[in-house]
Amino acid sequence: QVRVGAGRPAETQFSADELTNYASPKEYEITGLSVTGTRYLDPNSLVSLAGLKVGDKTRIPGEAVGSSVRKLMDSGLLDNVELFATHTGEGKVSLMFRVQERPRLYRVSFMGIKKGEQDQLKDKTKLNLGKIVTNTIVKNTQMAVRKYFVDKGYLNTKVKITTVPDSARNNATMRVLVDKGQKVKIAKINFEGLDEAEESAVRMKMKGTKEKRFGRIFTPSKFVPKKYEEDKQKLIAYYNKLGYRDAAIERDTLIHNPDNTVSLDIVLNEGKKYYYRNVDFSGNYLYTAAQLRSVLGIQKGDVYNPEDLDKRLNGNPGQDLSSQYMDDGYLYYNATPVEKMIDGDSIDLEIRIYEGKQATINRIILNGNTKTSDHVVMRSIRTLPGQKFNKSLLIRTQRELSTLGYFDPEKIGIQPVPQSDGTVDVEYTVEEKPSDQIELSGGWGGYVGFVGTLGLTFNNFSARNIPHLSAWKPLPAGDGQRVQVRFQANGRQYQVYSLSFTEPWLGGRKPNALSVSASHTVYRSFYDPNNINSYYQPLQGRSPTGSYSNTAFTVGLGRQLKVPDDYFSLTHSLSYQRYDLNNLDLFYIGYKNGISNNFTFNTTIARNSIDNPQFPRSGSSFSLSGSFTPPYSAFKTEKENVSIENRFKFVEYHKWMFDASWFQTVIGKLVLNTRAHMGFLGSYNKRTEIGPFERFVLGGSGLAGQGQFALAQDIIGLRGYDDRSVYTADYNQVPSAAARSQGGVVYNKFVAELRYPVSLNPSATIFALVFAEAGNNWASYKQYSPFDLKRSLGFGARIFMPAFGLIGIDYGYGFDTIPGIKNQPSGQFHFTIGQQIR
Amino acid sequence: CSSFNKLQKTGTDDQKYKAALQYYEKKDWYHAGLLFEELIPVLKGSTESEMAQFYYAYTQFRQQQYLLSSTLFKKFYETFARSEHAQEAMYMYAYSLYKDAPDYNLDQSNTLTATSALQDFINNYPDSQYRDDATKMILDLRQKLERKAYEKAKLYFKTSGFNIASYKSSVISINNFQRDFPDSQYNEELAFLKVDAEYSLAKNSLETKQKERYQETMNYYQGFIDRYPSSKYLKQAEKMFESSQKEIDRLTKLEKERAKEKQLQKQAPADRPGKVTAARQ
Repeated sequence: QVRVGAGRPAETQFSADELTNYASPKEYEITGLSVTGTRYLDPNSLVSLAGLKVGDKTRIPGEAVGSSVRKLMDSGLLDNVELFATHTGEGKVSLMFRVQERPRLYRVSFMGIKKGEQDQLKDKTKLNLGKIVTNTIVKNTQMAVRKYFVDKGYLNTKVKITTVPDSARNNATMRVLVDKGQKVKIAKINFEGLDEAEESAVRMKMKGTKEKRFGRIFTPSKFVPKKYEEDKQKLIAYYNKLGYRDAAIERDTLIHNPDNTVSLDIVLNEGKKYYYRNVDFSGNYLYTAAQLRSVLGIQKGDVYNPEDLDKRLNGNPGQDLSSQYMDDGYLYYNATPVEKMIDGDSIDLEIRIYEGKQATINRIILNGNTKTSDHVVMRSIRTLPGQKFNKSLLIRTQRELSTLGYFDPEKIGIQPVPQSDGTVDVEYTVEEKPSDQIELSGGWGGYVGFVGTLGLTFNNFSARNIPHLSAWKPLPAGDGQRVQVRFQANGRQYQVYSLSFTEPWLGGRKPNALSVSASHTVYRSFYDPNNINSYYQPLQGRSPTGSYSNTAFTVGLGRQLKVPDDYFSLTHSLSYQRYDLNNLDLFYIGYKNGISNNFTFNTTIARNSIDNPQFPRSGSSFSLSGSFTPPYSAFKTEKENVSIENRFKFVEYHKWMFDASWFQTVIGKLVLNTRAHMGFLGSYNKRTEIGPFERFVLGGSGLAGQGQFALAQDIIGLRGYDDRSVYTADYNQVPSAAARSQGGVVYNKFVAELRYPVSLNPSATIFALVFAEAGNNWASYKQYSPFDLKRSLGFGARIFMPAFGLIGIDYGYGFDTIPGIKNQPSGQFHFTIGQQIR
Repeated sequence: CSSFNKLQKTGTDDQKYKAALQYYEKKDWYHAGLLFEELIPVLKGSTESEMAQFYYAYTQFRQQQYLLSSTLFKKFYETFARSEHAQEAMYMYAYSLYKDAPDYNLDQSNTLTATSALQDFINNYPDSQYRDDATKMILDLRQKLERKAYEKAKLYFKTSGFNIASYKSSVISINNFQRDFPDSQYNEELAFLKVDAEYSLAKNSLETKQKERYQETMNYYQGFIDRYPSSKYLKQAEKMFESSQKEIDRLTKLEKERAKEKQLQKQAPADRPGKVTAARQ
């Protein structure tokens, strides 16, 4: 399309030779520049686009002239540019560009398809209005449209495109006529030569290609060529896995049936089943063949399975053959399995190993942290300069970085870059994702009616940058501190304010996490005992009949341990809570007025090796915590007769909590989560009763903070039962509502949950689950019977969005009756907000 | 503002262009920017197009939209390479990138882009009036990279209480720093930290590795005093040097004793009877 040629209508023309003689370019002075052939564009501005000026000295042929044509073409405005040169004197030249403008796409109209399909096609075909219409674009569009429908099962789609130019405005309209016809289904899939493998298993492997059958809902039977090709690969892979190393599809035929269906005839050649005979190694100097063989774990007579072999060589960090080398600096290690001899159905395998040199890490390079400070990320990186290269530590680092929660876990890049001096640089690339959360919810909290919640969590706060105004975008961020502000209220009756701050590396030297939190709760009762109806009357203009408030402060210091291993952490905290009751029988035990002080020291030891916080697939977490109040009763020898107002002035108890959770991949993407939770509340001696504070409340969604007892009790969910309903009272009595709200002193709960990820997109991680759980809550140790559990089954789904956290819905069905509750609903829905630990 | 809306809705392209220039004169970057943005596709291929794009880039720069202004200036000087504003545009492109370069403790790819843009500018226009400013900016950006490397090396030193292995990492990072930034102001402190890190590493090592590491401490110390004979860290470093020397002496003595013992054990079967008899005599 670009032509530099001798001019057409000139007085003194160049000979073509003179202009295109690349052997001896000559220098000319440009005396004139012009553009012809424009219809809608301004010739002058095209001249300025060309980048040449009158008076310039330029070589012809030469770079400047060539690039001027290219620049004009690059503007995208033109279909064709020709350059003509005219002699205007000795060493002088006048240049003329003859251009041809292009018609632009003005409108695309689809015919014969639905609106929704049109919108999707507009995305797919990338037809931007204003684009220049060329034959290639027409052809590509036609193909893209056809492919779109064929992939949906419309095998016989016909697409016709006409472009209608509008000469008045240099525009063109593209008309796309689609006749997609009927969906083409697969009537029959015939296999020939299928003897050794199970036919139903083979058919199952072809996930996207299924026969038409009544009642097939989830896996459609339409014919999609793309999926069919993939399925053929899967079929062969399946055979290879069974030891049929030579399996192949000899031929396959697609038959069009008259009733708009197709049939597939697949002729297989299964070949023989092969077994390992001898496995030898070559090139191994560091380890003996026997050592390597025991790591590889293949026995003579095992079925030959290349996929499994590959896994044993490279697929299982920490346990495969590559870890043997790669965890000890041998970065250049490489193993190639070679089938040395095939004798009947036996294969002799030689694994050729290249050990290479041991590489030491020199630099750690971090890219992509546009918000989070270097030191926050660097301190989580486990590979250190001076260490031997270690693949397992690389993988551990990946886990640590995704646990931070600031980066998209699916996009963490790790690249070892070998250097010429035998060292290696390790380059980590991260991509920031939004990590702040806003909680804005309204819910019906049984006792107080509607409760609204506004919560803000900043997971990557920077307290250091508060004084720097320029760092506020919109808040100072990047130092990995966590600030949470929460406000919950239903008008005058019930309010909670809370604030917490966490610095994970206090002082920046060691991962000693400091956390500080404060909260204040107010609950006012407007119930007038003399007027039973007062409960239902509006609150406006009435003064409260009783009130309760709670103020709490907690300071905690946690640190990571290295023994027994570095997944352990230990946390100590001190907290103070003050309960103030004013004419309100909160616990139904006649304690209406008074102030209770609760000082506790808490210590927690935990181990967490979960691989991904949003959707864990492997790893486990354990935590054991003990909370202790000072043993006031130790200073009183006898049980004193104290008035009820003063009985709980200084709350005394010790409390133990145990939580364990395991994750393991069952098959494919299916993950099993098993959990066990227990809690025990006790007194230091027989003289002291276990007070009403910090007791356990079991049942329902486990959503804390939706009632006035949120801070005085520990709320634990048990799906399939009403909120707070699961309770076994002392001496097999049928408990009253009062006893139930006072809560139990021992609880046990066990959960098994199967999870399936629907979407792992970090902007919305969604998974579905089925669960079986069982638990109970006892009022005294005499009553405690660990096998008397209330069981339930159910299913549900969770969605995690970075801005809102985890939101879930479950349907649970409870099998067991709860003493004292009549008409207990057996199946019910539960909503949850936020990560539930228990 | 209502007059602006009216203009935006009903004004002709010509009116809008004039108004945009007026807003620009009045330093109302926001409104001028809106109008130029709207006009640029319409003006494409016309005489006003050039200045509209130039001013539009400036409106974004003035509104501190440096990332956008950098691409706009870049597009300008690439499209209108012969314009009298091309030099200024190229400078402004680099300047925008400079303004947009992040803090030292974040990803520095933009800093590197800005540095090379400034260097390209200086190479293209060696006589430019902006040359001195550009040179200053390059130095400034380089200091960011310097600070980053410095803080990283120091971080390893700082967190070594949590992981002893990072003393070694600290030494390696300091060595890299000294190679990358030989004339940096941080070198004195880092040279001292290197002595300190190696010394602490030696102190926390297994006995078999200690001697070698104390020896290395002494080497680093000598390098330190040769270069900074009157450093404020001298006293501290000297102490480490002295105790390294003592430790080496102790370890050498220990080694000798052990070697002797071994020798004795080896010779023992042959010698012992003779010695025993000699003792009895």
